[in-house]
Amino acid sequence: MKKILIVAGFASLMSTTAMAEGIGVSMALFDDNFLTVLRNGIQKQADEQGLKVQIEDAQNDVAKQLDQINNFIASGVDAIIVNPVDTSATQAMSDAAAAANIPLVYVNRQPINVDTLPDNQAFVASNEAESGTLETIQLCDNWAAEGKTEVNVYVMQGELSNQAAVQRTQDIYDVIEAGKCKVKINVIDQQTANWSRDQAQTLMTNWLSTGTAFDGVIANNDEMAIGAFQAMKAANIDMKTVQVGGVDATQDALAAMQAGDLDVTVFQNAAAQGGGALEAAVKLSKGEAVDQKVYVPFELVTPENIANYLAKN
Amino acid sequence: MAEATHGLGGLKYDPAKRTRAPEWNVFAALVLIVLIFEILNRMQGGSFLFNMRDNVDGLFNQQRLDIMILQVAIVGIIALGVTQVIIIGGIDLSSGSVVGATAMVVMSFAQTATVNGNPNPKAIFGDWAMDLPVIVPIAIGLACGLFAGLVNGLLVAYTKIPPFIATLGMMVSARGAARWWSNGQPVSFPTETFGTLSNGDLLGTLTFGLLHWPGQNPAVVFVVLAILFHVIMSYTLYGKRSYAIGSNEAAARMSGINVDRHKVLVYAIAGVLAAVAAVLLTSKNLTAQAGMGVMYELDAIAMAVIGGISLAGGRGSILGTVLGAMIFSVIISGFTSIKLDAYYQEMVKGAIIVGAVVLDQWRQRKRARG
Repeated sequence: MKKILIVAGFASLMSTTAMAEGIGVSMALFDDNFLTVLRNGIQKQADEQGLKVQIEDAQNDVAKQLDQINNFIASGVDAIIVNPVDTSATQAMSDAAAAANIPLVYVNRQPINVDTLPDNQAFVASNEAESGTLETIQLCDNWAAEGKTEVNVYVMQGELSNQAAVQRTQDIYDVIEAGKCKVKINVIDQQTANWSRDQAQTLMTNWLSTGTAFDGVIANNDEMAIGAFQAMKAANIDMKTVQVGGVDATQDALAAMQAGDLDVTVFQNAAAQGGGALEAAVKLSKGEAVDQKVYVPFELVTPENIANYLAKN
Repeated sequence: MAEATHGLGGLKYDPAKRTRAPEWNVFAALVLIVLIFEILNRMQGGSFLFNMRDNVDGLFNQQRLDIMILQVAIVGIIALGVTQVIIIGGIDLSSGSVVGATAMVVMSFAQTATVNGNPNPKAIFGDWAMDLPVIVPIAIGLACGLFAGLVNGLLVAYTKIPPFIATLGMMVSARGAARWWSNGQPVSFPTETFGTLSNGDLLGTLTFGLLHWPGQNPAVVFVVLAILFHVIMSYTLYGKRSYAIGSNEAAARMSGINVDRHKVLVYAIAGVLAAVAAVLLTSKNLTAQAGMGVMYELDAIAMAVIGGISLAGGRGSILGTVLGAMIFSVIISGFTSIKLDAYYQEMVKGAIIVGAVVLDQWRQRKRARG
């Protein structure tokens, strides 16, 4: 009896402190620009609601991320938001949170166990199969509008271990396979520039040095697209003769589009994902039900509708 | 030969074996790697170094020669400083992070007020920091690098903690500062003049229009600084003291060199060189991001090591590091030219770093045995 009382006493102590602990957030990587917008979306939403969030940087390290989650659990947070480093390593995180009965929300990257999540866990993101598809189809339309029937392109990939990079590249080939492209695409070469503008510049200049004629560059993100056209401009290539596409609709990309250097980008609503994740986490911590899969749609950005996006990211 | 030599414990000194500078071995390796890529390219019907296009003039593929210097120029500038630190028997792990932190600060003072007619969406400070003369961000940047270098040097010289630890601390702290500066947000849209720092034609300015090399300013700065520091390390008191300290610190102290002060100086120079790299990197990319410069310190150390700089200190030269940088570059461009994946690049890069040191050790032992 005494034991039960002590345990009950501790439990009530812990639950009262837990309510004040707020929400723990483990981000895959602080250095990533897109994830930074997402992170700030979480922070902003939390500030508006007067919630305390503690945001940690897993520095692209799976083991570090699991440690952070266990630390959150140990300090008794109300809920945890995880932006997984490795989408195939999420089962252990789900298990740890479920064992402690703490709600968990995955954000931006789809966990491998997305279909078997416990009731108090959810997933908020955009569907990557849309991003590369929107980008590629728009580029195809642009080429077709120029009167081309067959084009030679370079493909710039993000980090090869990253699901978005793999999916966005796959999208290109899916569009070609499905016959959704109005022109015939020949991929001259496909290399990674690790999401980085600097590496993309170098890669593009190396490609240019081969002297192969090409009609455009399809990049997995905007930073690489920017690096690609910077290298082309340095080599005095007229940007009107090539199509360059990216994904993310960052401020830099939008300015480049206004200047006529970038032709296509795709807006992924990072702030909405961050805000949505926080909302789901709060609801779950109050015991309310939420949709287990929340998809924030991708939106195509072209010079025609760019004005709607200038203030968004 | 053997009967003419003398020495302690079987070690023999043979002046005939000293005639070939170690840099020649690195150079030979460079030529060999270029040759391999030339052959591989020829097998695919192309060429690595030579111009195969009808619509372009010239014997060589100028574009590839340009990018091969440009793509290692910025890390190469860092490597010049790291080389000096290694020669005095130290190590600098902080340079990549110093680049990141300096980049953020520099770009914040280099921003332009309007972008395509709109207010700068990435503005860090108010209007007072917009469209400043280009000397302001440069000066502030160099001051950041100097500060980081001085902290490194003072820690190493006066607290006597190992340089590995002191600069590891700076590596972590400076990266933190880079992220803290703008909450991890990139800083973009510099003034046009700031953009010309990397993308203009510095060689044209330096030679009063006699020679031109537009868009290659980081390469020009790298070459000029490399020559400058090669001369300094080879012919000045500063250089002689550096080698003396690296070879035998106690002996250098005994012979009256102010070892502590010299160490601070060398680390400070390395810090300033990292800042120069940061200014050029932000100007080249027209943006600053908290993740800039990640792994640059290790690339710089690798360049030095491939170039024959001994991590034990006291041995190697700036020329060696430049050759090491070129080997690095040939591998990057070579693999792209034969359309091989990045995986292989990294695997080969790792093998070459280890191979270079193994060869060097083996050659040293052989020379010591005679």
